Amino acid sequence: MIAVSDITKSYGAGGNRNQVLKGISLQIADGDLTVILGASGSGKSTFLNVISGLERPDSGSVLYGTSDITKLSDGELTQFRRDNIGFIFQQYYLLPNMTVEKNVRMGADLADNREYAEIITAVGLEDRSSKYPSELSGGEQQRVSVARALAKKPKVLFLDEPTGALDEQTGRQVLDYICKLHKEYAFTIVMVTHNQNIAEMANTVVKINSGKISEVLQTKSKRPLMR
Amino acid sequence: MIVGMKDALKLIGISVIACCAVFVCTLFLNYNIDIAAMKNEITAAGGVAMYNAVVSTGKVVAAVSGGCLAVTSVIMLLFYVKNYIDTHGKELGILKALGYSDFNIAKHFWVFGLSVFVGCALGYAAAFLYLPGFYELQNADRLFPEIKVQFHPALAFILIVVPAISFAALAVIYACFRLKTPVLDLLKEKREYKAKVSKNKTNDMPFLKELTRSTVRGRKSLVFFIMFSAFCFSAMVQMSISMKDLSSETMAVMIMTIGLILAFMTLFLSLSSVVKGNAKTIAMMRVFGYKHSDCSGAVLGGYRPFSYIGFAIGTIYQYALLKIMVTVVFADVENIPEYSFDFKACMITLILFILTYEIAMYVCSRRIRKLPLKSVMLT
Repeated sequence: MIAVSDITKSYGAGGNRNQVLKGISLQIADGDLTVILGASGSGKSTFLNVISGLERPDSGSVLYGTSDITKLSDGELTQFRRDNIGFIFQQYYLLPNMTVEKNVRMGADLADNREYAEIITAVGLEDRSSKYPSELSGGEQQRVSVARALAKKPKVLFLDEPTGALDEQTGRQVLDYICKLHKEYAFTIVMVTHNQNIAEMANTVVKINSGKISEVLQTKSKRPLMR
Repeated sequence: MIVGMKDALKLIGISVIACCAVFVCTLFLNYNIDIAAMKNEITAAGGVAMYNAVVSTGKVVAAVSGGCLAVTSVIMLLFYVKNYIDTHGKELGILKALGYSDFNIAKHFWVFGLSVFVGCALGYAAAFLYLPGFYELQNADRLFPEIKVQFHPALAFILIVVPAISFAALAVIYACFRLKTPVLDLLKEKREYKAKVSKNKTNDMPFLKELTRSTVRGRKSLVFFIMFSAFCFSAMVQMSISMKDLSSETMAVMIMTIGLILAFMTLFLSLSSVVKGNAKTIAMMRVFGYKHSDCSGAVLGGYRPFSYIGFAIGTIYQYALLKIMVTVVFADVENIPEYSFDFKACMITLILFILTYEIAMYVCSRRIRKLPLKSVMLT
């Protein structure tokens, strides 16, 4: 269970201070697929960065079980991400000088996962494993990014606009792979997007507007999540 | 303007190398020209043999130091031009897409020649100021008549203007060549990576080891610079310690100072470039949970063996150079002491080198630790 409580986050100083998150509270159940919906500039990516431990909030807490990650030191936070978190970004961030296989090993080696080839097969890239990212299409690169994130066997997978740089059909294909793997490995997914259609696949849809949660919808679970 | 003065200022490494090269060349060549004019006046016993040895020394030192440093400057310039085009691919790609020709864009790279001009001019000026002292030092035994420092415009032109023009032209030509990349590849900042090791060999290699290999393989020019840095440190420091019986203390200090400036400057620029060039990789590794020591080790560790190779080459080079000087150049000069390999100097230099290199690595590793995750990923 991830329990986010009264998170605030601002950028800038003085007159230029911009409060991006204005006291967000939320609970995400283990194994849930939560989609965070919001327009550009609504604060959804900042929220994702904060709950995944990439950024520290100005105030509030982010509890994973009983552990508050906002209180961890940099080293402890790195160890926490290593043990628990997987990331998929809109821009893929693959290592350009590494083949598909080595990019996936970047995640696999952290979890001492020797069966990483199975994940490459699961995302349909077994015949592309010796290619470099520049030799792949956008959809294929995002699938490598999916394989890399899952190869480290994360407990929670964070996705920041994973289909933002892809056309609709390729985006759907990537999401299908993610859904298939979600069912198989039962990890928690938190996905940020501005695409309403993607919300269909979620158990929970959280709508963010101007740094606040405006609505929480549950499609398969009736538990109240917003506090 | 595509490439501005600000970019030229970043080529401080080339300026420093050019400065050192011109400083050394001016000292020895100006002295050679001035002493040649007085050749007929040398009458002292052993004076002619000494004259021949001094002239030969001047030629060897100017050719070896000047040549070696010139080659390094050329490689550094090519590295900077390539790096600039790689990191500004999008802007340059847009210009090409708008219809600017390769030459139209490349001609702005002439400003890189300015850094050479500044370095050469400073080196020449510094040498000229030091020339009276150098002449005194060279003629300490009073084997030659008193030599006055003369200004030779042709030498100034060859050592300042010619390198600046040559480097400016080289920068433009090389930029033109690099810009021949297709527009889309520039826009996408696409670089080619080729698998050089057979698949079976790399399959079992852990990620961190592979990253170390590919980091080194991806920037071979940096391998050269790190080797060069170790070479300068090793050769110049050992030479200045070993030659205490062969030359004056001032000369030894001068050689050591030039060696250390070159070594530190090259090492610092190379390591900074490694960290900057791998910022995104490091950021991504940290996002995934790789420890700071893993990131530093993988990105910086691959260069260590090359630095020791550079050190070994520097050791051999300084020994060979001094041996040749003593046995060939000064063969006819009396009272030149026997020269043999100075093991003690080698060991002292090695310990100093290890300490210096590891401190530099530690400083770079601190910079890696301070890389802000979010800003790196947003750029």
